[in-house]
Amino acid sequence: MSAALERAVREAGGRVRAALAARFRDLDLAEEAFAEACLAALSAWSETGPPRDPAAWLYTAASRRALDLIRRARVRAGLRPDPVAPVPTPEEIAAEADQPIPDERLRLIFVCCHPAVAPDARAALTLRLVCGLSTAEIAAAFLTTEPTLAQRLVRAKRKISEAGVPFEVPGRDAWPERMDAVLSTLEVAYAKAYEDAAGVGAHAEFAGEVLRLSALLADLAPEDREVHAFAALVRFAEARRPARLDETGAMLPLDEQDAALWDARLIGEGEALLRRATGGPPGPRALQAAIHAAHCSRLRTGVTPWPDILALYDALLKLRPDPVVRLNRAVALAEAAGPQAGLAEVEALGGAQAERWLPWRAAQAHLLARLGLSDQARAAFDAALALDPAPAERLYLERRRALA
Amino acid sequence: MQYGLFIYEDERIYEDEAVYKAILAEHDKFSGELAASGKLRGGSELKSVRTATTVRQKDGQRTVHDGPFAETREQLGGFYLIEAEDLDEALAWARKLPLAAEGSVEVRPLNT
Repeated sequence: MSAALERAVREAGGRVRAALAARFRDLDLAEEAFAEACLAALSAWSETGPPRDPAAWLYTAASRRALDLIRRARVRAGLRPDPVAPVPTPEEIAAEADQPIPDERLRLIFVCCHPAVAPDARAALTLRLVCGLSTAEIAAAFLTTEPTLAQRLVRAKRKISEAGVPFEVPGRDAWPERMDAVLSTLEVAYAKAYEDAAGVGAHAEFAGEVLRLSALLADLAPEDREVHAFAALVRFAEARRPARLDETGAMLPLDEQDAALWDARLIGEGEALLRRATGGPPGPRALQAAIHAAHCSRLRTGVTPWPDILALYDALLKLRPDPVVRLNRAVALAEAAGPQAGLAEVEALGGAQAERWLPWRAAQAHLLARLGLSDQARAAFDAALALDPAPAERLYLERRRALA
Repeated sequence: MQYGLFIYEDERIYEDEAVYKAILAEHDKFSGELAASGKLRGGSELKSVRTATTVRQKDGQRTVHDGPFAETREQLGGFYLIEAEDLDEALAWARKLPLAAEGSVEVRPLNT
Protein backbone atom coordinates (compact mmCIF):
# COMPACT_ATOMS: atom_id res chain seq x y z
CA MET A 1 0.00 0.00 0.00
CA SER A 2 1.28 3.46 -0.77
CA ALA A 3 2.05 5.65 2.23
CA ALA A 4 -0.64 8.17 1.28
CA LEU A 5 -3.30 5.49 1.00
CA GLU A 6 -2.21 3.86 4.23
CA ARG A 7 -2.51 7.18 6.04
CA ALA A 8 -5.91 7.92 4.48
CA VAL A 9 -7.25 4.51 5.49
CA ARG A 10 -5.93 4.85 9.03
CA GLU A 11 -7.13 8.40 9.59
CA ALA A 12 -10.38 8.43 7.67
CA GLY A 13 -11.29 4.79 7.03
CA GLY A 14 -13.78 4.64 9.90
CA ARG A 15 -15.50 7.83 8.83
CA VAL A 16 -15.71 6.71 5.19
CA ARG A 17 -16.99 3.23 6.04
CA ALA A 18 -19.57 4.67 8.44
CA ALA A 19 -20.81 7.15 5.85
CA LEU A 20 -21.12 4.33 3.30
CA ALA A 21 -22.96 2.08 5.75
CA ALA A 22 -25.35 4.89 6.66
CA ARG A 23 -25.99 5.77 3.03
CA PHE A 24 -26.57 2.23 1.77
CA ARG A 25 -27.89 0.67 4.98
CA ASP A 26 -25.75 -2.38 4.27
CA LEU A 27 -22.62 -3.25 6.26
CA ASP A 28 -21.23 -5.85 3.85
CA LEU A 29 -21.77 -3.61 0.86
CA ALA A 30 -20.00 -0.76 2.66
CA GLU A 31 -17.02 -2.93 3.48
CA GLU A 32 -16.74 -4.43 0.02
CA ALA A 33 -17.10 -1.10 -1.76
CA PHE A 34 -14.54 0.50 0.53
CA ALA A 35 -12.04 -2.30 -0.09
CA GLU A 36 -12.46 -1.95 -3.83
CA ALA A 37 -12.11 1.82 -3.65
CA CYS A 38 -8.78 1.29 -1.86
CA LEU A 39 -7.66 -1.01 -4.66
CA ALA A 40 -8.68 1.58 -7.24
CA ALA A 41 -6.82 4.28 -5.27
CA LEU A 42 -3.67 2.20 -5.33
CA SER A 43 -3.35 2.44 -9.10
CA ALA A 44 -4.99 5.85 -9.59
CA TRP A 45 -2.87 7.60 -6.97
CA SER A 46 0.37 6.05 -8.18
CA GLU A 47 -0.23 7.71 -11.58
CA THR A 48 -1.47 11.13 -10.54
CA GLY A 49 -0.29 11.38 -6.95
CA PRO A 50 -2.71 11.38 -4.01
CA PRO A 51 -5.75 13.70 -4.33
CA ARG A 52 -6.17 16.82 -2.23
CA ASP A 53 -8.76 15.14 -0.01
CA PRO A 54 -8.02 11.40 0.03
CA ALA A 55 -10.96 10.58 2.32
CA ALA A 56 -13.46 12.28 0.04
CA TRP A 57 -11.90 10.56 -2.97
CA LEU A 58 -12.30 7.17 -1.30
CA TYR A 59 -15.89 7.95 -0.31
CA THR A 60 -16.86 8.99 -3.83
CA ALA A 61 -15.13 6.04 -5.48
CA ALA A 62 -16.65 3.60 -2.96
CA SER A 63 -20.14 5.08 -3.41
CA ARG A 64 -19.87 4.51 -7.15
CA ARG A 65 -18.65 1.00 -6.58
CA ALA A 66 -21.55 0.32 -4.20
CA LEU A 67 -24.10 1.57 -6.73
CA ASP A 68 -22.47 -0.68 -9.29
CA LEU A 69 -22.67 -3.69 -6.96
CA ILE A 70 -26.35 -2.95 -6.24
CA ARG A 71 -27.07 -2.76 -9.95
CA ARG A 72 -25.35 -6.06 -10.61
CA ALA A 73 -27.28 -7.71 -7.80
CA ARG A 74 -30.50 -6.45 -9.41
CA VAL A 75 -29.46 -7.97 -12.71
CA ARG A 76 -28.65 -11.27 -11.03
CA ALA A 77 -32.06 -11.20 -9.40
CA GLY A 78 -33.65 -10.80 -12.83
CA LEU A 79 -34.71 -7.21 -12.23
CA ARG A 80 -34.21 -4.48 -14.77
CA PRO A 81 -31.08 -2.55 -13.82
CA ASP A 82 -31.10 1.18 -13.38
CA PRO A 83 -29.56 2.97 -16.36
CA VAL A 84 -25.80 2.59 -16.35
CA ALA A 85 -23.95 5.69 -15.24
CA PRO A 86 -20.90 6.56 -17.35
CA VAL A 87 -17.61 5.51 -15.76
CA PRO A 88 -16.13 8.66 -14.21
CA THR A 89 -12.59 9.73 -14.91
CA PRO A 90 -10.25 10.23 -11.92
CA GLU A 91 -10.47 13.99 -12.57
CA GLU A 92 -14.24 13.88 -12.24
CA ILE A 93 -13.98 11.97 -9.01
CA ALA A 94 -11.48 14.47 -7.66
CA ALA A 95 -13.69 17.40 -8.68
CA GLU A 96 -16.78 15.85 -7.11
CA ALA A 97 -14.98 15.03 -3.93
CA ASP A 98 -15.00 18.56 -2.61
CA GLN A 99 -17.94 17.91 -0.31
CA PRO A 100 -17.22 16.94 3.26
CA ILE A 101 -18.15 13.38 4.21
CA PRO A 102 -20.91 13.25 6.81
CA ASP A 103 -19.70 11.81 10.12
CA GLU A 104 -21.95 8.81 10.65
CA ARG A 105 -19.70 6.93 13.06
CA LEU A 106 -22.03 7.49 15.97
CA ARG A 107 -24.91 5.99 14.03
CA LEU A 108 -22.76 3.03 13.09
CA ILE A 109 -21.79 2.49 16.73
CA PHE A 110 -25.42 2.33 17.75
CA VAL A 111 -25.99 -0.26 15.03
CA CYS A 112 -23.01 -2.37 16.13
CA CYS A 113 -24.00 -2.12 19.81
CA HIS A 114 -27.71 -2.78 19.31
CA PRO A 115 -29.06 -5.07 22.05
CA ALA A 116 -30.30 -7.39 19.28
CA VAL A 117 -26.63 -8.10 18.41
CA ALA A 118 -24.95 -10.85 20.44
CA PRO A 119 -22.96 -9.20 23.27
CA ASP A 120 -19.75 -11.02 22.36
CA ALA A 121 -19.96 -9.67 18.81
CA ARG A 122 -20.64 -6.01 19.60
CA ALA A 123 -17.12 -4.90 20.47
CA ALA A 124 -15.60 -6.91 17.63
CA LEU A 125 -18.07 -5.43 15.16
CA THR A 126 -17.42 -1.89 16.40
CA LEU A 127 -13.67 -2.38 16.14
CA ARG A 128 -13.99 -3.85 12.67
CA LEU A 129 -16.42 -1.35 11.17
CA VAL A 130 -15.89 1.86 13.11
CA CYS A 131 -12.19 1.56 13.90
CA GLY A 132 -11.22 -0.49 10.83
CA LEU A 133 -9.19 -3.18 12.58
CA SER A 134 -8.62 -6.38 10.65
CA THR A 135 -10.22 -9.62 11.82
CA ALA A 136 -6.71 -10.93 12.54
CA GLU A 137 -5.98 -7.98 14.85
CA ILE A 138 -9.31 -8.27 16.65
CA ALA A 139 -8.94 -12.03 17.02
CA ALA A 140 -5.53 -11.49 18.61
CA ALA A 141 -6.91 -8.84 20.98
CA PHE A 142 -9.75 -11.11 22.11
CA LEU A 143 -7.61 -14.24 22.35
CA THR A 144 -9.65 -16.15 19.84
CA THR A 145 -8.96 -17.61 16.42
CA GLU A 146 -9.53 -15.66 13.25
CA PRO A 147 -12.11 -18.09 11.80
CA THR A 148 -14.11 -18.02 15.05
CA LEU A 149 -14.11 -14.26 15.10
CA ALA A 150 -14.93 -13.97 11.40
CA GLN A 151 -17.87 -16.32 11.94
CA ARG A 152 -19.10 -14.18 14.83
CA LEU A 153 -18.91 -11.05 12.67
CA VAL A 154 -20.77 -12.71 9.79
CA ARG A 155 -23.57 -13.83 12.13
CA ALA A 156 -23.85 -10.38 13.67
CA LYS A 157 -23.97 -8.61 10.31
CA ARG A 158 -26.56 -11.05 9.03
CA LYS A 159 -28.70 -10.46 12.10
CA ILE A 160 -28.48 -6.69 11.65
CA SER A 161 -29.49 -6.86 8.02
CA GLU A 162 -32.17 -9.57 8.22
CA ALA A 163 -33.85 -8.45 11.44
CA GLY A 164 -34.02 -4.85 10.28
CA VAL A 165 -31.81 -3.14 12.89
CA PRO A 166 -32.17 0.56 12.01
CA PHE A 167 -29.19 2.75 11.08
CA GLU A 168 -30.27 5.46 13.47
CA VAL A 169 -29.19 7.04 16.70
CA PRO A 170 -32.04 5.90 18.98
CA GLY A 171 -34.59 8.25 20.47
CA ARG A 172 -34.15 9.49 24.02
CA ASP A 173 -36.62 7.00 25.50
CA ALA A 174 -34.39 4.12 24.42
CA TRP A 175 -31.31 5.92 25.69
CA PRO A 176 -30.49 4.23 29.01
CA GLU A 177 -30.48 0.68 27.64
CA ARG A 178 -28.81 1.57 24.37
CA MET A 179 -26.15 3.83 25.87
CA ASP A 180 -25.14 1.23 28.42
CA ALA A 181 -24.54 -1.28 25.61
CA VAL A 182 -22.45 1.29 23.75
CA LEU A 183 -20.40 2.19 26.82
CA SER A 184 -19.80 -1.46 27.70
CA THR A 185 -18.58 -2.06 24.16
CA LEU A 186 -16.25 0.93 24.26
CA GLU A 187 -14.99 -0.25 27.66
CA VAL A 188 -14.02 -3.59 26.13
CA ALA A 189 -12.34 -1.81 23.21
CA TYR A 190 -10.50 0.57 25.50
CA ALA A 191 -9.37 -2.20 27.84
CA LYS A 192 -7.64 -3.80 24.86
CA ALA A 193 -5.93 -0.54 23.97
CA TYR A 194 -4.94 0.03 27.60
CA GLU A 195 -3.29 -3.38 28.01
CA ASP A 196 -0.85 -2.35 25.33
CA ALA A 197 1.09 0.04 27.58
CA ALA A 198 3.67 1.01 24.99
CA GLY A 199 0.93 1.81 22.48
CA VAL A 200 2.71 0.04 19.65
CA GLY A 201 0.55 -3.05 19.17
CA ALA A 202 -2.44 -3.76 16.99
CA HIS A 203 -4.81 -1.82 19.24
CA ALA A 204 -2.70 1.31 19.63
CA GLU A 205 -4.86 3.08 17.05
CA PHE A 206 -8.11 2.71 18.83
CA ALA A 207 -7.17 4.41 22.08
CA GLY A 208 -7.45 7.62 20.04
CA GLU A 209 -10.73 6.44 18.53
CA VAL A 210 -12.22 5.75 21.96
CA LEU A 211 -11.14 9.22 23.14
CA ARG A 212 -12.85 10.79 20.15
CA LEU A 213 -15.99 8.66 20.25
CA SER A 214 -16.48 9.18 23.98
CA ALA A 215 -16.31 12.95 23.46
CA LEU A 216 -18.90 12.64 20.69
CA LEU A 217 -21.20 10.65 22.98
CA ALA A 218 -20.78 13.21 25.77
CA ASP A 219 -21.80 15.98 23.34
CA LEU A 220 -24.76 13.95 22.23
CA ALA A 221 -25.99 13.13 25.74
CA PRO A 222 -25.26 16.18 27.90
CA GLU A 223 -27.51 14.83 30.67
CA ASP A 224 -26.07 11.32 30.83
CA ARG A 225 -23.67 11.19 33.78
CA GLU A 226 -22.28 7.75 32.99
CA VAL A 227 -21.31 8.90 29.49
CA HIS A 228 -19.39 11.84 30.92
CA ALA A 229 -17.80 9.61 33.52
CA PHE A 230 -16.62 7.18 30.86
CA ALA A 231 -15.21 9.98 28.70
CA ALA A 232 -13.39 11.30 31.80
CA LEU A 233 -12.05 7.88 32.76
CA VAL A 234 -10.54 7.27 29.34
CA ARG A 235 -8.81 10.67 29.49
CA PHE A 236 -7.30 10.03 32.93
CA ALA A 237 -6.04 6.64 31.80
CA GLU A 238 -4.63 7.91 28.50
CA ALA A 239 -3.00 10.88 30.24
CA ARG A 240 -0.72 8.47 32.08
CA ARG A 241 0.34 6.51 29.01
CA PRO A 242 3.69 8.39 28.58
CA ALA A 243 4.70 7.34 32.12
CA ARG A 244 3.62 3.72 32.14
CA LEU A 245 6.95 2.21 31.05
CA ASP A 246 10.44 3.00 32.29
CA GLU A 247 13.41 3.49 29.98
CA THR A 248 14.06 -0.28 29.87
CA GLY A 249 10.50 -0.99 28.75
CA ALA A 250 9.40 -2.37 32.11
CA MET A 251 5.94 -1.56 33.45
CA LEU A 252 5.71 1.04 36.20
CA PRO A 253 2.77 0.81 38.61
CA LEU A 254 0.65 3.93 38.92
CA ASP A 255 2.11 5.18 42.19
CA GLU A 256 5.69 4.85 40.94
CA GLN A 257 5.11 6.74 37.69
CA ASP A 258 6.74 10.12 37.19
CA ALA A 259 3.69 12.40 37.32
CA ALA A 260 5.58 15.07 35.42
CA LEU A 261 5.27 12.86 32.34
CA TRP A 262 1.46 12.74 32.57
CA ASP A 263 -0.54 14.70 30.04
CA ALA A 264 -1.89 17.63 32.08
CA ARG A 265 -4.17 18.74 29.24
CA LEU A 266 -5.95 15.38 29.11
CA ILE A 267 -6.24 15.33 32.90
CA GLY A 268 -7.83 18.79 32.76
CA GLU A 269 -10.33 17.56 30.16
CA GLY A 270 -11.08 14.54 32.32
CA GLU A 271 -11.69 16.71 35.38
CA ALA A 272 -14.09 18.96 33.45
CA LEU A 273 -16.00 15.92 32.18
CA LEU A 274 -16.08 14.36 35.63
CA ARG A 275 -17.60 17.53 37.12
CA ARG A 276 -20.48 17.07 34.69
CA ALA A 277 -20.83 13.45 35.83
CA THR A 278 -21.55 14.36 39.45
CA GLY A 279 -24.84 15.28 41.11
CA GLY A 280 -27.09 12.51 42.31
CA PRO A 281 -25.93 9.06 43.36
CA PRO A 282 -22.83 8.13 41.34
CA GLY A 283 -23.00 5.19 38.95
CA PRO A 284 -20.18 2.65 38.62
CA ARG A 285 -18.42 4.57 35.86
CA ALA A 286 -18.55 7.82 37.85
CA LEU A 287 -16.88 6.01 40.78
CA GLN A 288 -14.22 4.50 38.54
CA ALA A 289 -13.52 7.89 36.99
CA ALA A 290 -13.30 9.44 40.45
CA ILE A 291 -10.71 6.80 41.42
CA HIS A 292 -8.67 7.68 38.34
CA ALA A 293 -9.05 11.39 39.14
CA ALA A 294 -7.78 10.79 42.67
CA HIS A 295 -4.67 9.06 41.31
CA CYS A 296 -4.11 11.88 38.83
CA SER A 297 -4.46 14.49 41.58
CA ARG A 298 -0.89 13.53 42.57
CA LEU A 299 0.26 15.68 39.65
CA ARG A 300 -0.79 18.76 41.64
CA THR A 301 -0.47 17.66 45.27
CA GLY A 302 2.49 15.28 45.11
CA VAL A 303 0.67 12.61 47.16
CA THR A 304 -1.84 9.88 46.32
CA PRO A 305 -4.96 10.20 48.51
CA TRP A 306 -5.25 6.48 49.39
CA PRO A 307 -7.98 6.87 52.05
CA ASP A 308 -10.18 8.65 49.48
CA ILE A 309 -9.45 5.96 46.92
CA LEU A 310 -10.32 3.25 49.44
CA ALA A 311 -13.66 4.95 50.20
CA LEU A 312 -14.42 5.14 46.45
CA TYR A 313 -13.64 1.43 46.07
CA ASP A 314 -15.96 0.68 49.01
CA ALA A 315 -18.76 2.48 47.17
CA LEU A 316 -17.90 0.80 43.86
CA LEU A 317 -17.87 -2.63 45.48
CA LYS A 318 -21.53 -2.13 46.46
CA LEU A 319 -22.45 -1.55 42.80
CA ARG A 320 -20.05 -4.04 41.25
CA PRO A 321 -19.23 -6.79 43.70
CA ASP A 322 -16.85 -8.62 41.40
CA PRO A 323 -13.32 -9.99 41.98
CA VAL A 324 -11.64 -7.23 39.95
CA VAL A 325 -13.07 -4.50 42.17
CA ARG A 326 -12.35 -6.52 45.32
CA LEU A 327 -8.72 -7.02 44.32
CA ASN A 328 -8.22 -3.34 43.49
CA ARG A 329 -9.86 -2.40 46.78
CA ALA A 330 -7.46 -4.76 48.60
CA VAL A 331 -4.50 -2.99 46.96
CA ALA A 332 -5.87 0.40 48.04
CA LEU A 333 -6.43 -0.98 51.55
CA ALA A 334 -2.78 -2.06 51.68
CA GLU A 335 -1.77 1.53 50.96
CA ALA A 336 -4.26 3.12 53.34
CA ALA A 337 -4.04 0.64 56.23
CA GLY A 338 -0.82 -1.31 55.70
CA PRO A 339 0.26 -4.39 53.71
CA GLN A 340 -0.93 -6.83 56.38
CA ALA A 341 -4.56 -5.71 56.03
CA GLY A 342 -4.24 -5.70 52.24
CA LEU A 343 -2.77 -9.19 52.13
CA ALA A 344 -5.57 -10.56 54.32
CA GLU A 345 -8.09 -9.29 51.78
CA VAL A 346 -6.10 -10.66 48.86
CA GLU A 347 -5.84 -14.07 50.54
CA ALA A 348 -9.60 -14.02 51.20
CA LEU A 349 -10.07 -13.80 47.43
CA GLY A 350 -7.82 -16.83 46.87
CA GLY A 351 -8.84 -20.10 45.28
CA ALA A 352 -8.15 -22.20 42.23
CA GLN A 353 -9.46 -19.52 39.89
CA ALA A 354 -7.55 -16.66 41.53
CA GLU A 355 -4.34 -18.66 41.35
CA ARG A 356 -4.56 -18.65 37.55
CA TRP A 357 -5.35 -14.92 37.48
CA LEU A 358 -2.23 -12.83 36.95
CA PRO A 359 -3.38 -9.62 38.71
CA TRP A 360 -4.18 -11.61 41.84
CA ARG A 361 -0.84 -13.43 41.88
CA ALA A 362 1.05 -10.19 41.26
CA ALA A 363 -0.77 -8.37 44.08
CA GLN A 364 -0.12 -11.26 46.45
CA ALA A 365 3.57 -11.32 45.54
CA HIS A 366 4.01 -7.58 46.07
CA LEU A 367 2.34 -7.59 49.47
CA LEU A 368 4.34 -10.61 50.63
CA ALA A 369 7.50 -8.82 49.52
CA ARG A 370 6.52 -5.66 51.36
CA LEU A 371 5.98 -7.67 54.52
CA GLY A 372 9.52 -9.07 54.15
CA LEU A 373 8.29 -12.65 53.62
CA SER A 374 10.96 -13.21 50.97
CA ASP A 375 10.58 -16.95 50.32
CA GLN A 376 6.81 -16.78 49.95
CA ALA A 377 7.09 -13.61 47.86
CA ARG A 378 9.58 -15.21 45.45
CA ALA A 379 7.34 -18.26 45.09
CA ALA A 380 4.36 -15.98 44.32
CA PHE A 381 6.41 -13.98 41.78
CA ASP A 382 7.39 -17.26 40.12
CA ALA A 383 3.75 -18.30 39.98
CA ALA A 384 2.85 -14.91 38.45
CA LEU A 385 5.63 -15.18 35.86
CA ALA A 386 4.34 -18.62 34.91
CA LEU A 387 1.00 -17.01 33.94
CA ASP A 388 2.54 -15.51 30.81
CA PRO A 389 2.54 -11.77 31.52
CA ALA A 390 3.07 -9.28 28.69
CA PRO A 391 6.76 -8.37 28.16
CA ALA A 392 6.57 -5.05 30.08
CA GLU A 393 4.97 -6.68 33.09
CA ARG A 394 7.33 -9.65 32.92
CA LEU A 395 10.32 -7.33 33.16
CA TYR A 396 8.75 -5.55 36.11
CA LEU A 397 7.87 -8.76 37.95
CA GLU A 398 11.35 -10.20 37.39
CA ARG A 399 12.93 -7.06 38.81
CA ARG A 400 10.66 -7.12 41.85
CA ARG A 401 11.38 -10.77 42.39
CA ALA A 402 15.11 -10.03 42.43
CA LEU A 403 14.54 -7.42 45.17
CA ALA A 404 12.31 -9.64 47.30
CA MET B 1 -41.17 -4.60 7.03
CA GLN B 2 -43.53 -7.03 8.66
CA TYR B 3 -42.74 -8.65 11.97
CA GLY B 4 -44.32 -11.44 13.97
CA LEU B 5 -44.57 -10.93 17.72
CA PHE B 6 -44.80 -14.41 19.23
CA ILE B 7 -46.03 -14.60 22.81
CA TYR B 8 -44.62 -17.22 25.15
CA GLU B 9 -46.12 -17.59 28.61
CA ASP B 10 -46.88 -20.36 31.06
CA GLU B 11 -50.51 -20.85 30.05
CA ARG B 12 -51.48 -22.23 33.47
CA ILE B 13 -51.69 -18.69 34.85
CA TYR B 14 -54.78 -18.19 32.66
CA GLU B 15 -56.63 -21.02 34.41
CA ASP B 16 -57.61 -18.20 36.78
CA GLU B 17 -60.64 -16.67 35.05
CA ALA B 18 -60.00 -13.19 36.48
CA VAL B 19 -56.43 -13.15 35.18
CA TYR B 20 -57.61 -14.32 31.77
CA LYS B 21 -60.35 -11.68 31.54
CA ALA B 22 -57.95 -8.95 32.58
CA ILE B 23 -55.37 -9.90 29.93
CA LEU B 24 -58.03 -10.11 27.23
CA ALA B 25 -59.06 -6.54 28.02
CA GLU B 26 -55.43 -5.46 27.77
CA HIS B 27 -55.00 -7.24 24.44
CA ASP B 28 -58.11 -5.48 23.14
CA LYS B 29 -56.53 -2.18 24.07
CA PHE B 30 -53.16 -3.14 22.59
CA SER B 31 -54.56 -4.41 19.29
CA GLY B 32 -56.82 -1.35 19.14
CA GLU B 33 -53.77 0.87 19.42
CA LEU B 34 -51.98 -1.14 16.71
CA ALA B 35 -54.99 -0.92 14.43
CA ALA B 36 -55.41 2.81 15.05
CA SER B 37 -51.76 3.31 14.03
CA GLY B 38 -52.38 1.32 10.86
CA LYS B 39 -49.79 -1.24 11.96
CA LEU B 40 -51.92 -4.32 12.60
CA ARG B 41 -51.71 -7.02 9.92
CA GLY B 42 -53.12 -10.00 11.78
CA GLY B 43 -52.73 -12.29 14.73
CA SER B 44 -54.67 -14.36 17.17
CA GLU B 45 -54.76 -16.02 20.51
CA LEU B 46 -54.12 -19.77 20.26
CA LYS B 47 -56.06 -22.43 22.13
CA SER B 48 -54.28 -24.27 24.91
CA VAL B 49 -51.16 -26.24 24.08
CA ARG B 50 -53.23 -29.29 25.15
CA THR B 51 -54.96 -28.95 21.79
CA ALA B 52 -51.70 -29.06 19.83
CA THR B 53 -51.02 -31.88 17.39
CA THR B 54 -47.71 -32.19 15.61
CA VAL B 55 -46.95 -33.73 12.25
CA ARG B 56 -43.32 -34.79 12.15
CA GLN B 57 -41.21 -35.88 9.20
CA LYS B 58 -38.41 -38.32 9.80
CA ASP B 59 -36.65 -40.63 7.35
CA GLY B 60 -39.10 -39.58 4.67
CA GLN B 61 -42.10 -40.64 6.80
CA ARG B 62 -44.69 -38.28 8.24
CA THR B 63 -46.21 -39.24 11.55
CA VAL B 64 -48.80 -37.52 13.71
CA HIS B 65 -48.17 -36.93 17.42
CA ASP B 66 -50.17 -35.57 20.29
CA GLY B 67 -48.76 -32.39 21.81
CA PRO B 68 -46.61 -29.42 20.76
CA PHE B 69 -43.33 -29.83 18.88
CA ALA B 70 -41.47 -29.40 22.17
CA GLU B 71 -42.53 -29.49 25.81
CA THR B 72 -41.41 -26.23 27.42
CA ARG B 73 -42.22 -24.30 30.54
CA GLU B 74 -43.55 -21.42 28.43
CA GLN B 75 -45.69 -22.12 25.40
CA LEU B 76 -46.57 -20.21 22.28
CA GLY B 77 -49.95 -18.76 23.21
CA GLY B 78 -50.62 -16.25 20.46
CA PHE B 79 -49.09 -13.88 17.96
CA TYR B 80 -49.44 -10.55 16.28
CA LEU B 81 -48.39 -9.70 12.75
CA ILE B 82 -47.45 -6.06 12.53
CA GLU B 83 -46.04 -3.57 10.07
CA ALA B 84 -42.99 -1.72 11.39
CA GLU B 85 -40.38 0.59 9.95
CA ASP B 86 -37.53 -1.37 11.51
CA LEU B 87 -36.59 -3.66 14.40
CA ASP B 88 -36.65 -0.80 16.92
CA GLU B 89 -40.28 -0.03 16.14
CA ALA B 90 -41.19 -3.72 16.35
CA LEU B 91 -39.36 -3.98 19.69
CA ALA B 92 -41.20 -0.90 20.97
CA TRP B 93 -44.52 -2.65 20.29
CA ALA B 94 -43.21 -5.88 21.84
CA ARG B 95 -42.31 -3.96 25.01
CA LYS B 96 -45.88 -2.71 25.27
CA LEU B 97 -47.46 -6.08 24.56
CA PRO B 98 -49.45 -7.24 27.60
CA LEU B 99 -48.03 -10.14 29.60
CA ALA B 100 -49.74 -11.44 32.73
CA ALA B 101 -46.61 -12.41 34.66
CA GLU B 102 -43.29 -13.76 33.46
CA GLY B 103 -43.10 -14.41 29.77
CA SER B 104 -41.37 -13.58 26.52
CA VAL B 105 -42.20 -11.99 23.22
CA GLU B 106 -40.12 -13.25 20.33
CA VAL B 107 -39.78 -10.72 17.53
CA ARG B 108 -39.13 -12.13 14.06
CA PRO B 109 -39.17 -10.40 10.69
CA LEU B 110 -41.36 -12.05 8.05
CA ASN B 111 -39.48 -13.25 5.02
CA THR B 112 -41.55 -11.43 2.44
